Amino acid sequence: MSSPLPTSHNKYIAADSDSDSDIDESALPSYGTEDVLVPSPAPGKGKGRPQQQDVLASPSGQQPLSGNIGSSGAGAGAGGGAAGSAGVRGPTRQKFGNIQVETRYSGGDTLDEPVLTTIGRDLTSIYIKLIQVLYPARSGAGREVLRDWDLWGPLILCLALGIMLSLSAPPEQSLGVFTGVVVIVSVGSLVVTLNAKLLGGRVSFFQSLCVLGYCIFPLVVAALLSTFFHKLFIRGPVTLAAWAWSVWAAMNFFDGTNIEQQRVLLAVYPLFLFYFILAWMILIQ
Amino acid sequence: MADDYHPAQLHPQEPSASGFWTVEYYQQYFDVDTKTVLMRCYAALVPTNDFVADVCDSKPDMYGPFWTLTTVIFFLFVTTSLASSIGSYLSDKPYNYDFTLLSVAVGLVYAYGMGLPAAMWALMRYLSVTEWGLVEWLAVWGYGMTVWIPVSLLCIAPIPLLRWVLVGLAAILSGYFLVRNVYPVLALAEQKSTRLLVPIIAVIHLGVALTLKILFFSYYIVKEVGVKEPDALPSSPVGPDSPAPTALFS
Repeated sequence: MSSPLPTSHNKYIAADSDSDSDIDESALPSYGTEDVLVPSPAPGKGKGRPQQQDVLASPSGQQPLSGNIGSSGAGAGAGGGAAGSAGVRGPTRQKFGNIQVETRYSGGDTLDEPVLTTIGRDLTSIYIKLIQVLYPARSGAGREVLRDWDLWGPLILCLALGIMLSLSAPPEQSLGVFTGVVVIVSVGSLVVTLNAKLLGGRVSFFQSLCVLGYCIFPLVVAALLSTFFHKLFIRGPVTLAAWAWSVWAAMNFFDGTNIEQQRVLLAVYPLFLFYFILAWMILIQ
Repeated sequence: MADDYHPAQLHPQEPSASGFWTVEYYQQYFDVDTKTVLMRCYAALVPTNDFVADVCDSKPDMYGPFWTLTTVIFFLFVTTSLASSIGSYLSDKPYNYDFTLLSVAVGLVYAYGMGLPAAMWALMRYLSVTEWGLVEWLAVWGYGMTVWIPVSLLCIAPIPLLRWVLVGLAAILSGYFLVRNVYPVLALAEQKSTRLLVPIIAVIHLGVALTLKILFFSYYIVKEVGVKEPDALPSSPVGPDSPAPTALFS
């Protein structure tokens, strides 16, 4: 009685853990009827079935399932539906005849949602990252947001800065200024990232590009302000404060890259140059 | 990979441990501390010892040359635009910065500080003088440009004579630094004619210094504008710190 149970247990787990890692183990025995999936069931299977499901259910901490196939499917389906509405992944099961169909909640139905919802979600993600970069929470939990990097935010900020600076540049130079800003931002963040990597910092390449791009935001605000206020005594402090904020935000990120203490300055120095040349272009426009 | 990197373990490794296309391969040339880089910059300003053998301990880095050149470009652009805006402010003339100067500075400084040493390295390989690798050549030229950083700062002062003196001193100092370090390597070649490269280098060096002087340190606007008539001013005569609002949307 005790010997066939582990084997059947192993068989079920092994069959499905290959296909997907986050499978809900608790409901595996009800994946189909025994007649379809296992033509020759182990002796004493019918009696051992409720026990086996309890054994399987306990490690994953889910609700214990009853022995009845139909009711277990309904229970899992209800649980999956509840989890889905709460925003957590969970399978939903339905039974068509003898075959059980599992539907998983994968973060929402993105296929036939309105375009506005899609754009809104991306903009929200950019906004969250922007806040995280510019005002990093000390808890450290916020760094997880940056793991999901994107380059849309940096692109938007870079183009905004370029457009604003080229608008206020002399007409014959506006194209050159725009090109210059885009080249400085892209090549500069590339070089700064590469420099940190070469100095032995542990930093993901695109994540660093993403963060350095988002750190331009204070300078974009400063550029916007200085298109409206031309007095130097307004533009000067604003631009310098924006520069300091950008450098501070970028340094916060590089804090986590484990560069040795005696060479941190070497990794930070390019940041000063990178943001200062942008700030300088705002200042002298 | 990058997680296993420890600088202490780096030196015993052979450079051929990883391919030249990986980041790890180049980390050996960036294995410097802040103090080391500053010390090497100082040694380039006060050239009393042999740079590669004594100062760098035969382990030249790439961080210094690259960021020295980049800093020179940065300071050339910043100080030039600052000097010209001060000049136009003092002479009541609207200031329009010349953005093309930045690309000119990038081209000139990188071409001279990286292109020329790379060409020298290739030439020396052709003449089978393998005393210096590419990194040594780049390090000497890159650190040699350090002197232009303080000079460009000092040249903000709108005094023509001071600027000429400073540029001349900088050219002589960095030229001496280059020749002093390069000549022993050139003398290793079997052909005596390779020593003719020294005057060629000196001429290129002085040419670059003169170009820097003319392009970047030549804003004597104060005196010139004093005798100019108002025709020279653009159509909208406004102060230097309030550009014409029409330029915003044109």
